[in-house]
Amino acid sequence: MAREYDHLFKLLIIGDSGVGKSSLLLRFADNTFSGSYITTIGVDFKIRTVEIDGERVKLQIWDTAGQERFRTITSTYYRGTHGVIIVYDVTSGDSFANVKRWLHEIEQNCDVVNKILVGNKNDAPDRKVVLTEDAQRFASQMNVQLFETSAKDNINVEEMFMAITRQVLRTKKERKERQAIHSNETVNLRKSNKQSKKKCC
Amino acid sequence: MGSRIRENVKHVFQCFCEVVRPQAGGQDAWIIQKYPDSYKDEEVLKSVPKFAYPCEFENNSVQLYSFVLTSVDSKWTFGFCRHDPKTETALVVLSYLPWHDTFYRLLDLIAELTLNVSNKAEDLWQLLEAVYSSPVPDRGSLPVVYNGHETFVCSCPSQFELPSIPDDRNLTEYYKSVDVSNMMIIFASMLHERRVIFVSQKFTRLSSCVQAANALLYPMHWQHIFIPVLPRVLSDYLLAPMPFLIGVPQSVFQRVRRNDLGDVVIFDVDNNTIESPFDDVQSLPPEVVTHLKRQLRSRSGLLGDGVSRTFLRALVILIGGYRDALRFQLGHKITFDQEAFVESRPSSMQPFMRKMLQLQIFQQFIEERLDILNSGLGFSDEFEMEAFNYCGKSSSRLKQQYKEWTHTMRKEGSAFFKTVKNKANPAMKSAVKTVKERGKEVRTAYKGIRSKFRDSQPSNDDFISHVSAGRNETPSSPTHIEPLPPHFPTSGVNEKPSPSHKVSQSAFSESLLEPSPLELDLMGDLQDLLGLPTSTTPQFPQNVPPAVDRSLKPKTSLTPLLSPPPPPGSRGRGSRSVGSSPCRIVPKPEQTDLIELDSTPSDEEEEEVEFDPLAAKDRRTIPPPELAGGFANPLYPYFTSSQGGSDNAKASSSNLDADFLLREYGLDFSKLSVYNGSSQNSSPASTSPQRIVQSQGPQISISKDPFQEILPARVQMCSQSDVPPPRQSSPANWTQFH
Repeated sequence: MAREYDHLFKLLIIGDSGVGKSSLLLRFADNTFSGSYITTIGVDFKIRTVEIDGERVKLQIWDTAGQERFRTITSTYYRGTHGVIIVYDVTSGDSFANVKRWLHEIEQNCDVVNKILVGNKNDAPDRKVVLTEDAQRFASQMNVQLFETSAKDNINVEEMFMAITRQVLRTKKERKERQAIHSNETVNLRKSNKQSKKKCC
Repeated sequence: MGSRIRENVKHVFQCFCEVVRPQAGGQDAWIIQKYPDSYKDEEVLKSVPKFAYPCEFENNSVQLYSFVLTSVDSKWTFGFCRHDPKTETALVVLSYLPWHDTFYRLLDLIAELTLNVSNKAEDLWQLLEAVYSSPVPDRGSLPVVYNGHETFVCSCPSQFELPSIPDDRNLTEYYKSVDVSNMMIIFASMLHERRVIFVSQKFTRLSSCVQAANALLYPMHWQHIFIPVLPRVLSDYLLAPMPFLIGVPQSVFQRVRRNDLGDVVIFDVDNNTIESPFDDVQSLPPEVVTHLKRQLRSRSGLLGDGVSRTFLRALVILIGGYRDALRFQLGHKITFDQEAFVESRPSSMQPFMRKMLQLQIFQQFIEERLDILNSGLGFSDEFEMEAFNYCGKSSSRLKQQYKEWTHTMRKEGSAFFKTVKNKANPAMKSAVKTVKERGKEVRTAYKGIRSKFRDSQPSNDDFISHVSAGRNETPSSPTHIEPLPPHFPTSGVNEKPSPSHKVSQSAFSESLLEPSPLELDLMGDLQDLLGLPTSTTPQFPQNVPPAVDRSLKPKTSLTPLLSPPPPPGSRGRGSRSVGSSPCRIVPKPEQTDLIELDSTPSDEEEEEVEFDPLAAKDRRTIPPPELAGGFANPLYPYFTSSQGGSDNAKASSSNLDADFLLREYGLDFSKLSVYNGSSQNSSPASTSPQRIVQSQGPQISISKDPFQEILPARVQMCSQSDVPPPRQSSPANWTQFH
């Protein structure tokens, strides 16, 4: 039986509760009717299949409850994922501070290459406290893409999800190519290459 | 905080529901009645039927199990569920408290009331109402009277007991179902934060094993997805890429496509088999594996808390040295130095320790401990005690080291003893608590002192510069905080006094050292009296007088002790009487200028000072009665005021001796109307009042709670210094076993 997709990617969405992770997921998901379990088992996920350059990519986006209690989110949390969507609320400086810490942590300890920074609730300019320039500066410094979205007004949400999906897909292909090249290289080269890489998860 | 159990719980249970089983026509299970009616959490109420009937199952015997719901703040709600083949419904009690034994008994009682036709319907509601409106016991047992004369007993598991076999149903079931080597594999998998699935046909076994596996991680707590019984409708959640611990009913698991699961550890509990793509036991440090294997070999040694203790000890070997990596500087919060933590371990353990830093369970453990330390609260628990015992056994060098330090300190004379003032109390507190709880743990008493010596080293330089810079400043948080944490030294690290330390001894000892010779000797005496092995006992010089001067002038009550201090010059009297214990309940000076008093030079002969630290010639040097805070410290259940149930303690034979001895030293807890965690109020020890009177005179005849008087003093003291006042936290703030 032919699979209904060419790639299956599992993404994580992280950020304080209240930054609008669930709303972003609802905007994005295929089936908005499939209730939410975040309030009963502390975890939720949404599915959507998108087509990118003629390839069908099935996305599962996972969310867990109470992340703000973690000063650090350790690398074991990201172990099985292909990409991370890191969300803050542009009207909350605290949520941005948490995100900065977590992103640094990912950078240091994790091999998860695909990350995207999202400033949600970008629909009330008078209440905005995390300035675009500051966020952009941080994003560039961390070498991640920044999207400012509004789940409420459906601004930039689709673009953001497509961007991370493309990124994950590109990484997968690059990795495949690298592997192909590596298999032609000598054993030694491959070893040294492996060692130079920080193994996270 | 690491624990996912809620604090400040208001009701013993949140809601009772009766759930009708799913019907043949495809109708889902539904709630036909609940109590109280005011419970309106729709999300939870919608989930309860799914978890009460997670899948088809053979309902041919009474089955009790628990499920867990996780709210957005990641805290758990426990659903205790009872199936009975005689009925078409399941009984469910929702509670924030993980008290399996209590709620299973409650469910049995509810079933009895509903099934027995001679009972009126009101009986059930009366029971529920009585239990619902009863206060939540913070330790021990609380009888709830319902229906006029019937009694239901709510039992709160002791915070200072590890789950034991057969008392703890979850651990007992786990032990019954599972081979110890598989327990090790699961333990190792959880220490790698894997995605772990337990499979069983029986809900009871499933929930018990998942709960027990988590309990064996104590003092850490699983931080990830935790679903002891997964309903069929949620089976897609097994695809989660994050770490999880999920119990899956056999029939649900059969329909899951294994290929979709990825790297997952699957534990078939019914067949006692594990499939794992990892070799996690292998990557544990060899000493941990050896320990586990050796301890788990003898099945007889595993009854009681043997299993829990074996795993606790393994964790002590792994993380017990976290205190060696705590760092503090004046004016800053205590922090944890990860690199130092790894490097303080033997090289064989370092690779795993490095991985450990990347565990959420470990990070939260550290956060939790730092949180308590930085809030200025002292604590001790089974883990700290075990860690202390472990390092006591593993190092004989410590003993010698301690001796040297004590000796050096003695030479420093009164400068040293001045420091006793504000520092000694927590140690005392810890000592008292420990001895009272369990005589055999007496060694804990001096652990603090030893590690205080050590702990103060890193900050030595900092401190000295601070002192010379401005003597009139009130010491800030580090000095305040330092004495409060439980102290246990770890072997081999930082034990040598550095030369710089010698040079700066007096400034250093003035403010950073806190050991009280009073406590040292008290505990030493106790240890002798208790016939404990003295391997870890500090060796005191022969000329050391007895810890307690029994020729003390009797005091009629504690009240005088709380009055303002006598003027300078009257030293050596009032404080002598205090010297035997409640002794540490000291007058609180109106103005505490600690530095000034500290820096007062003193050439007092050492014994005088030593055994009368509170009578040190300058009475003004007596610190704010930190002890008061200590006794009122909500982290110590013994010292919190009970909610009208101080008589429900259960007397354990192990602490009777200790109680008696303490009474000999003037520490009579029952007289102080302190809740002592036992179920009978009359302990055998209290049947020897003669002895007590002889040794202590009227001092013990305190008829009211002295701590009530102390409490305001403590608050006042806090407002004077620049440290944050201690948080008023409930015992639930405590590290929990469940």
